[in-house]
Amino acid sequence: MNPITANRRHFEDLRVGEIIELGDMVVTREMIFEFAREFDPFPFHLDEDAAKASLLGGLAASGFQTAALTLRMLGDSFLNHVASMGGLGFADLKWPRPVMVGDTISATATLVGLRVSRSHPERGIVTTDLAVRNQKAEPVMTMRLTSIVEVRHPGPVSDGAAA
Amino acid sequence: MTRWYEDVPVGETFTLGTHEFTAPEIVRFATRYDPQYFHLDPEAARHSHFGGLVASGWHTVSIGHRYMVDTLAAEEERLRGLGQEPGISGPSPGVNKMEFKAPVRPGDSVTYTLNVTGKRVSNSIPGWGLLFNDLEAVNQRGELVYRAELVGFSKLRDYKMPLRLRLMLALTRLPILGNVLAKRTG
Repeated sequence: MNPITANRRHFEDLRVGEIIELGDMVVTREMIFEFAREFDPFPFHLDEDAAKASLLGGLAASGFQTAALTLRMLGDSFLNHVASMGGLGFADLKWPRPVMVGDTISATATLVGLRVSRSHPERGIVTTDLAVRNQKAEPVMTMRLTSIVEVRHPGPVSDGAAA
Repeated sequence: MTRWYEDVPVGETFTLGTHEFTAPEIVRFATRYDPQYFHLDPEAARHSHFGGLVASGWHTVSIGHRYMVDTLAAEEERLRGLGQEPGISGPSPGVNKMEFKAPVRPGDSVTYTLNVTGKRVSNSIPGWGLLFNDLEAVNQRGELVYRAELVGFSKLRDYKMPLRLRLMLALTRLPILGNVLAKRTG
């Protein structure tokens, strides 16, 4: 028994179609500069004039920052309330339009797939679609997360299973 | 790699750099962006199936991106040093896939490499091309910890804008008409 996660929701408690509202967040100039300095120091994330001249048309958050902030909202609203065992990966990450300075982003997570790992029956594999919008309800990011959640009562290992 | 679209060779591999992940850095990233107990608290992390502190996958991703941006900047310097005008890298429209293959632990040294697997001219943005890149991150024991299929914009050197588009662009730069056009097309 893992004492950290014992009282959290486990794999068996999750349902396909469950929707989790992740709240919203204002993306400030300071946040954009701080993230860009450390992880994405392209001039169009660090300098207003360079930003205006770029494809983005003005100061915008790094797409990697939008994803990081979404992950933070997902942690606060969902991952820290389930018996999370970490992420396997992301797929189909799209940034249809930039998050501009001062935008308010809000995010929704939808559980779209649940299956038990065949080789590790104590691991439930959860597929989550994340959708992020700005204050005009325009989509700014979508991505699909595959992560693992503890199974409370694991069954036996399936024969000949790989994953 | 901050080269013109035409000068980016498909099949070429670039070493982006090696990063040592320290415990304080792992905890600092997790505190801000991914506050799960196995990224945050070495004691609590011992109860997880990782058996100890591990870096957030998005930390591994973000550091890899940083090394790519630094490599682009160094290439730009190099080209300017040779008296050449460097190309322009644009933002990314998305990522096809990111996979976390093994945990990154404190003290691990992770080496990132980028391989250009394909390119094509953009259909939606005139004058720009799309580059398809495979990113791989390997630890000091040679184990693959992370791989990704990335897409990025790169500007064409030899692009001639059609007259119609040039005219439109010139019109949008007139103050009043520009606002009207921006409202109608935006």
